[in-house]
Amino acid sequence: MKRLLALVLVLMLSLGAFALAEDNSLAAVQEKGTLILGLDDSFPPMGYRDDSNNIVGYDIDLATEVASRLGVTLVCQPVDWSAKEVELNSGNIDCIWNGMSITPERQENMAMTWSYMNNKIMVYAKNDSGIASKEDMAGKVVGVQAGSFAEEVIDTYEDYAELRASIGEVVAYEDYLTALIDLQMGNIDALLIDLVVAQYKLAGMEDDSIVAVEALEDDNYGIGFRKDDIALRDAVQDTLVEMAKDGTIAAISEVWFGEDISTVPVA
Amino acid sequence: MSIKYFNDPARLWGLTKIMLGGVQVTLGIFVLTLILSIPLGMLVALGRMSKRKALSTPVSFYIYIMRGTPLMLQVLFFWFFLSQSLPFKPSRFAVVVFSFALNYAAYFAEIFRGGIQAVPVGQREAGQVLGYTRVQTFFRIIVPQVVRNVLPAVTNEIITLVKDTALGSIIAVVELMSIAKKQVSNSTSIEPYVVAILLYLLLNGIAERLCKTAERKMDYLRR
Repeated sequence: MKRLLALVLVLMLSLGAFALAEDNSLAAVQEKGTLILGLDDSFPPMGYRDDSNNIVGYDIDLATEVASRLGVTLVCQPVDWSAKEVELNSGNIDCIWNGMSITPERQENMAMTWSYMNNKIMVYAKNDSGIASKEDMAGKVVGVQAGSFAEEVIDTYEDYAELRASIGEVVAYEDYLTALIDLQMGNIDALLIDLVVAQYKLAGMEDDSIVAVEALEDDNYGIGFRKDDIALRDAVQDTLVEMAKDGTIAAISEVWFGEDISTVPVA
Repeated sequence: MSIKYFNDPARLWGLTKIMLGGVQVTLGIFVLTLILSIPLGMLVALGRMSKRKALSTPVSFYIYIMRGTPLMLQVLFFWFFLSQSLPFKPSRFAVVVFSFALNYAAYFAEIFRGGIQAVPVGQREAGQVLGYTRVQTFFRIIVPQVVRNVLPAVTNEIITLVKDTALGSIIAVVELMSIAKKQVSNSTSIEPYVVAILLYLLLNGIAERLCKTAERKMDYLRR
């Protein structure tokens, strides 16, 4: 009887500890001294590999500064974009910070920040493909990135069901840069891609055979954390606001985009 | 498609340098996999040939799983399984080596089994007649002949292994293949692939040469 009582007591205590368990996500990151940022390292100018194979980009500059203000070191961990949620939930990375669109589904699965940059999902096409509007993609071969917002839009949004049915074939690429090369070589006719990426990359490609056709959806970039890591997310958000106020974000944005296009809420 | 490296020696050297960094990782996977999988393969071969059903049946099942599923799937499975179930975080590199070692051990085991069974029973009997114990017979008479028998097939596996290291890129191990892919993306030029082709050929050229030398060394047994 005594033993049973002890068992019940222990159980109650452990349950109590569970219920009272605080969100120590911020403390955990500060204790291990690193913030592990997960990214698809083929997403310029947000996060990608430069000529020396170093991971660089707008997001990387922002995150480096955020990490240093939180007193930790930033570690960049490339992941397969279609497996990013698994990598996050298994604790291999602490956040996904790589020009990730805020979608209802992702808000359901992760603790997302507010938007820190605006983007559009665009249709780009080869200039000789005869595609001048999204309806012209009927019967054509269209590329997207696997696991991207563009893929979700074309595959699941009601508004695009008819368009999806008319497209000849949708090719899902591992990353957008491979898709851009394929578009340039004429292996696909059109590509659904983030405006931010396409503008930056095409400016460097010295190739005017790829043209913007039209925008499909407005889009916002946010940072994703594990569903329960609210304390960590809030700390990163607060740091970003602080950086917006003291002009750090404007300076970083100037470097990558030539102007301040950040949407971090200052008020 | 424009030429961006082959007309610019400085840029080409820069590219080659970072890709050589990838070769180090590729070699690391290669060497560690061999060191682990050859002894393990030997044990698995012996287990597979055991007369005890309780041993040979599970070992056969292990070989069936390892040879019957794609190595890519095994790497992905082990990465997500181990990174969630172990009390510590394994490195991506370690998981690749782990999966490769298990997979290659299964192939080596079957090669070794064939090599052992190809040695005529008379050899074993002769050893025993000469007063060798079973263990002595195995190591002094059987094993040297097995090594000679299996070398060509092992060479084949070694060459395949050099190329299979490219699968490390699917769990983001920064080896030669993944650097080639990222640099093709970064430069929108396929020249990094050409450099990667040359580097893989170089690696396999060396591997082949070493295996050939070993085969020639073992030839004394043939008389």
